[in-house]
Amino acid sequence: MTATKKTAISGKTTCPYCGVGCGVNLTIPDSVNQDVPPVSGDMDHPANFGRLCVKGSSLAQTIKSDDRLLAPMLNGQVVSWESAIETVSSKISQVVKDHGPDAFAFYLSGQILTEDYYVANKLAKGFIGTANVDTNSRLCMASAVVGYKRAFGSDTVPCNYEDLELCDLLIMVGSNAAWTHPILFQRIASAKKQRPNMKVVVIDPRETATCDIADLHLTIKPGSDASIFSFLLNDSAQAGILDEDFIANHTNGFAETLSQAVESTPNLSFTADFCGIDEKALACLASWWREYSKTITFYSQGVNQSSSGVDKCNAIINCHLATGRIGKEGAGPFSITGQPNAMGGREVGGLANQLAAHMDFATPGALDLVQRFWQAPNMATENGLKAVDLFQAMEEGKVKVVWIMSTNPMVSLPDTAQVRRALEKCELVIVSDCKAHTDTTAMADVLLPATGWSEKDGTVTNSERRISRQRGMLPAPGQAKHDWWAICEVAKRLGFASAFSYQNVHEIFAEHAALSAFENHGKRDFDIGYFSQITKAEYDAITPIQWPVPKGRPEGTKRMFADGRFFTPDGRARFVAITPCLSKNQSSQEWPFTLNTGRVRDQWHTMTRTGDAASLAKHTSQPYVEIHPKDARRLGIEDKAVVRITSPHGEVLLKAKISRAVAPNSVFTPIHWTQQFANASVVSNLIPQVVDPLSGQPESKHAQVQLAAVSDVCYGLIISAVPLALADCLYWCQVPSEHGYHYEVVWQNGQTQAKLKAIDCHISESLTGQSDWIEYSNPITQQNRVAKLVDQKLVLLIYSHPKPESLSTEWLSSNLAINAPLSLQDRLALLVGSPANIEEKGDIVCSCFQIGTKQIEKAIAAGADSVDALGAKLKCGTNCGSCLPELKHFIPLVAELSV
Amino acid sequence: MPKLPMLNKRHLVIVGAGMAGSKLAHDLWQSHGHLFQIILIGEEANVGYNRILLSSLLANEISQADMPLVDMQRMCDDGVQVLANDPVTSLNVGAKTLTLKSGQLIGYDKLVLATGSRACLLPIKGREAPNVMAFRTLKDVEVMTQLTGCQKICVIGGGLLGLEAAAGLVKRGHKVVVFHRSNWLLNRQLDEEAAGLLLNRFKQMGIEFRLGESPVSFRQQDDGRVSHVECQSGESLAIDLVVMAAGISPEINLAKAAGLETNRAIIVDKKMRTSHADIYALGECCEFDQQTFGLVAPIWTQINVLLKVLAGEEAVFDIEPTPTKLKVSGVHLFSVGKIQPSTEDSCIVFKDVGANHYRKLVVNEGILVGAILYGNVADGNWYFQLIQNKTNVSNMLDFLVFGEAYCCPQVA
Repeated sequence: MTATKKTAISGKTTCPYCGVGCGVNLTIPDSVNQDVPPVSGDMDHPANFGRLCVKGSSLAQTIKSDDRLLAPMLNGQVVSWESAIETVSSKISQVVKDHGPDAFAFYLSGQILTEDYYVANKLAKGFIGTANVDTNSRLCMASAVVGYKRAFGSDTVPCNYEDLELCDLLIMVGSNAAWTHPILFQRIASAKKQRPNMKVVVIDPRETATCDIADLHLTIKPGSDASIFSFLLNDSAQAGILDEDFIANHTNGFAETLSQAVESTPNLSFTADFCGIDEKALACLASWWREYSKTITFYSQGVNQSSSGVDKCNAIINCHLATGRIGKEGAGPFSITGQPNAMGGREVGGLANQLAAHMDFATPGALDLVQRFWQAPNMATENGLKAVDLFQAMEEGKVKVVWIMSTNPMVSLPDTAQVRRALEKCELVIVSDCKAHTDTTAMADVLLPATGWSEKDGTVTNSERRISRQRGMLPAPGQAKHDWWAICEVAKRLGFASAFSYQNVHEIFAEHAALSAFENHGKRDFDIGYFSQITKAEYDAITPIQWPVPKGRPEGTKRMFADGRFFTPDGRARFVAITPCLSKNQSSQEWPFTLNTGRVRDQWHTMTRTGDAASLAKHTSQPYVEIHPKDARRLGIEDKAVVRITSPHGEVLLKAKISRAVAPNSVFTPIHWTQQFANASVVSNLIPQVVDPLSGQPESKHAQVQLAAVSDVCYGLIISAVPLALADCLYWCQVPSEHGYHYEVVWQNGQTQAKLKAIDCHISESLTGQSDWIEYSNPITQQNRVAKLVDQKLVLLIYSHPKPESLSTEWLSSNLAINAPLSLQDRLALLVGSPANIEEKGDIVCSCFQIGTKQIEKAIAAGADSVDALGAKLKCGTNCGSCLPELKHFIPLVAELSV
Repeated sequence: MPKLPMLNKRHLVIVGAGMAGSKLAHDLWQSHGHLFQIILIGEEANVGYNRILLSSLLANEISQADMPLVDMQRMCDDGVQVLANDPVTSLNVGAKTLTLKSGQLIGYDKLVLATGSRACLLPIKGREAPNVMAFRTLKDVEVMTQLTGCQKICVIGGGLLGLEAAAGLVKRGHKVVVFHRSNWLLNRQLDEEAAGLLLNRFKQMGIEFRLGESPVSFRQQDDGRVSHVECQSGESLAIDLVVMAAGISPEINLAKAAGLETNRAIIVDKKMRTSHADIYALGECCEFDQQTFGLVAPIWTQINVLLKVLAGEEAVFDIEPTPTKLKVSGVHLFSVGKIQPSTEDSCIVFKDVGANHYRKLVVNEGILVGAILYGNVADGNWYFQLIQNKTNVSNMLDFLVFGEAYCCPQVA
């Protein structure tokens, strides 16, 4: 058999992770048998100028065929596309006929491309006749959208990334950019290095890696962000730094807004007390705010995911309007999105409270305009159901068919039990995905195989309004199809062939561009009319560009509102009077802990892609809960021990990470782990369906919970050549591994022997050959370890111990790949955990060069006294730089040790 | 003719020219030759050889030339008097004289009894037959090495000696069956697990085992030779030769007859003194603190103690655990200290089933008290040191069973 010979292709595409939207160079090898070589950063892309974070750098590792959904499935059986489309379209027809168009809904994703979004939105709002088109973007930036719209009359991000480097004061609110938007963080960090006078302030209840470059960190009470900005507005007025001309000529509503601010946050001490911070810290922020007019307020999920998220956004925007810090270099309220194409979704109107192309149902004339443009037979006329409402309506039986695309609501929406009930109740659940197994595909009646990153063509928009191309360079695997194609096929079957007969994706983009320009005349911010006649060749040649790109302005638009004109009917920005309030649920005797959620450095969303890169699992391998040492001591919780967290909605098991980064009575946990990776760690089980009344965005960063130590258990590590079913363990977590399968487990005491036997039986059934084993038992330390070998090669390794241990598994699992009989010393070493002469790395800190804590400590002990010195010695931190904040923490540690 | 004794030296007589007696004579000659006229008396024709090497000699791994323990010739040339092949028949403690089988009467100023031990002859009918022998002396080995063809040999006893004999004999092409009273081999040195591994190894060598079993009787032919071993099961095994290796008993007849205090062996104090003035005992024939000695290490210690005592220096003997090793090539086994744990001990176990490696460490309150190593014995001496020094191993419990390489270079 000979491999199909192809020519190697290299091309520029865009990273599929966060909203920074970095340019990526991807090379496809000339033979299908070759692995895709590591990607590199695109030096020409204005988002990253060649840099990539560790997640982006590992993209090639995620291009693999593991667990791809390769054919349409109906109730677990493979069917043809023809039959799947028929099933979907006939069911949609039936429910629309019997129950009206609102019995159908799309639930989309900030990861699908603008063109996919466009056809889904068009089909639902113009042809089926429902505005039930919502998206997981609802969970990340819906509050920011409403905040901008209330203030500017449009969903317009005023700033660009350069402003982050040009500002004199950067206030980062509710953002751990060091981990969630690493490239922006690095741009900020290097700007600050060049201009040490630039001030960075972090406002976050938690001490995060982002605090590393901060001159000031306000550890506010969860949810109290708005009062900081209410106070800054009040203080600006008192200090006389208002931009009176700007207020007078370009805004409305200042007086009532200021008087509300004065009432809500009358003075420094009141505000500091409300926020639970030191007065001096707040005074410092206020003095910098007065001093530096080039101010950017950089905000993200910590602001948006709140029951008063929109108000928080407007509290921020108010301050910028009042001081005229908008539309200028290095100044503005800058919302940073979490997804690669949340912005693209907003642009096509792919949210239930939008119509299309930055027009709302309430926008005068918009319905008619869009109807005419689309030649639409069944226009939806009012807002549809926002994500949480949508799933509630589904549970109530009102929504009977849902088409979920490229997202995992079983893990991302609050109150997983409710989401499960809703999907169980729904008559037809259609899920389009790349992956065969996600927590959500498990709930599907119809599964549609989708092409993914590097396979599909289209555009995405990043947080600075920059449209970039994602390029399809690899062939679609199996029967996978582009999402836009599947939507159009269903549309055709529903009788809308003429409106959905696109031959190529650029035609969709052209239509989207044409709609944005249609009867616009500068009335709407979103206008990319320049592209409305775009050809395929031009489309393929698009270079990253910031919208608006109206006809006659091919260079796009760097910064918005430079002219002080806004998209409200009178062209003036609006102040919004804000009454700061705390999160909806507050601690009680029964639910004493406040839970905050977030992300870890090396995973993204629900790990459906990052979970495929073994190297990304090394920074944080298991789901954890950060607990203050005081609370841990009181509850008898040991570091790395399994902890039970309960809320009124559900419970999870997580590993304790004892840390002073969280305040007492507060805990933090990352959101990434799904049931594909851990049996009992889906954090959304705990989150209540509390939403912002305006944006419908859930308060996912806040839940009230109980914590309890789990006793009478033993801890295990399993490394196996074959996948294992560990369903009946109290806790299991599968850690992505380069070789074989790596599980961390917790058993109830007394169950170990039975579990081991079951695993052994499974292995014996799965593998044939001459088997033998090695075992170790130590009743003093209660360690039990066993290695099973078939034909003298390792197939299974089980360690169990009474206390949580962190063992470095890299060497252990590498033994699975050794294709020759192991030496006696190596066999012994299997049960020790390391060969006698190997250097113990510890937990990996630098993923790029695989440098661990123990190596760093050793290098520091040997004289490395700075991060640069560490880099020179170990190379750590010299590639993507994501670990630099963590590396810095090692330096004082050493100083402490040497005292 | 040996040189005549010097008149001004005191007469020191050593009864027994086995390993203990010969080594004592040698060391005394080297260190205190100026003080004593040394007379070494042995019952065997061969004196001063290394009995430990008999197994290797039987297994054809070494030759006769490798056997000497000390350089007898040089000792004799320098005035040490060696009387071989002439056992002592009586001891007169009052007159301080010894009578030899040859009739010679020897006087002494100081007497050291190093009469060793003899193979236990189990009380089985027919045990006196000409083809029932021990595995104890160079002469025994000579007999065994002269056997021709494929003989059917029954070894009684699955201890160190019996297994070494069995291994040597099977290597010489004979068919060997081993009877062992206990349920597992080397039951004083190994636990059941390690003994199981050992058993498999010996079975692979072609040796047959009857565990938990002693022969009922030896069926003799008209010429007195044993022709069959009768088993408890009623089975009858045809055999050509029986080797008795069911333990040893200290040789104390001479001492007992002379009125020295004895128990299982000749009782000595910590200076190796017997109940009688100027009479010392050491080696397998002595008993100290209710213990007798079969391994070489404590006996070497006894020699060192006695050397000093005889020179009027301060020295005392104390019992220390001694590791056991099996001298069968290809079989690696190490056992030291307390290997059958009591309830307050804990056992750390490592087992490599594929490689037939096994380790058991017995730990009591942070101190290693016993160790069995089977297969990989490289760390044996390290464990032995830990036991000897009563090192607190609490901080290396996680790695202890994996050996020195994992415990000692541990990162600080």
